[in-house]
Amino acid sequence: MNKKGILVGIVISIVIISVIVAYSSSVETENFDVRAHGMISTTMGSSILGNPSAQITIVEFGDYQCHQCYNWFHNTKPTVFQNYVDTGKANFVFMDLAFLGRDSPIAAQASYCAEDQEKYWDYHNQLYTAQESQVDNGWANSERLKAFAFGLGLDMELFDDCLDSGKYAKRVQYNIAEAKKLGANGTPTFFIVGPDGQQQKLVGAQPYSVFKQVLDSMI
Amino acid sequence: MVQTLKLVFSNHFYIVLSVVIFTFMLIGLLVLSEYIFLDPYIVGHISQGTEFGFVLIVILSILSALVIPMNVYRINILKKSKGKIGGSVFSSFIGSVAGACSCGPIGFAVISTFGSVGATTLAFLTNFELPIRIGAIALLAFTYYATVKSLKIECKVS
Repeated sequence: MNKKGILVGIVISIVIISVIVAYSSSVETENFDVRAHGMISTTMGSSILGNPSAQITIVEFGDYQCHQCYNWFHNTKPTVFQNYVDTGKANFVFMDLAFLGRDSPIAAQASYCAEDQEKYWDYHNQLYTAQESQVDNGWANSERLKAFAFGLGLDMELFDDCLDSGKYAKRVQYNIAEAKKLGANGTPTFFIVGPDGQQQKLVGAQPYSVFKQVLDSMI
Repeated sequence: MVQTLKLVFSNHFYIVLSVVIFTFMLIGLLVLSEYIFLDPYIVGHISQGTEFGFVLIVILSILSALVIPMNVYRINILKKSKGKIGGSVFSSFIGSVAGACSCGPIGFAVISTFGSVGATTLAFLTNFELPIRIGAIALLAFTYYATVKSLKIECKVS
């Protein structure tokens, strides 16, 4: 009888543990939308901008304090988007290679705090619009990052809690590690991932003509 | 001034040296500062707002290509002191380093290797890129003036 009781107890324990494990793993799966483009794990990057089922994905590794990223954002990105992203031929993912200064990772974390309130891309655009030419001169410090969030009408209590707690510090670190793994050693670095998973790496704020040649060769 | 230039560059060696310095500095700095891209296609591009930086690189390369051969001439022909060539090489180097954008692979390597010290140095070089280049150009211009003056005296150029 005692042996039977122990056996039943073990079985019940196993069932309870299995249920807990199954539940916790389902929570993890809900939190992380596992995603990859070619060889790149974009799970921790931005959401996909543009047609999610587009044949081509442009993955940018950038830093919010990088002046060349600013140049690309203002000079080349509009034409690339107009001809490829807005037309559904390609989509776009931004990932952080935040290495330039002490404010770079904080700015990247702030962008994900804005994502919590579905304002990632507005915040991203705000940072590249407000960027100043000097690294770590205070334009992207914690106070200014909160001011940008306020300007976009975000819930400041949620945003402040998120930024001050370093909620997304590991996410940004993961993206930096992913960049290093892929051999991205400068910003901006782009990976154009084609329909068959083939990848073309573009280093620097290259002009539209280069993007056009690469993208057209993949369509 | 023209006579002094003729004196130095009448020797083909100094013309070749000047062309080599100009070509290496111009192409090197344009690649470092992302005005020229080599991969996947060779393409030149001056994006909006970076025109002044481009002009400074051209001036820096021209001045380096003039001043360094003139000082090599002073050392080779006149056996004069090496002080001035030291100044001109230093100015060219400083002007070039200012162009090595910290966003690029060099910046990444320096920051990865030297950590916060490297990051601070690179932030300084990036933040003050244009003033540093202007300073280097001013120093080269002064060295050019001083070299021409001394060559006039030493070689008795009228």
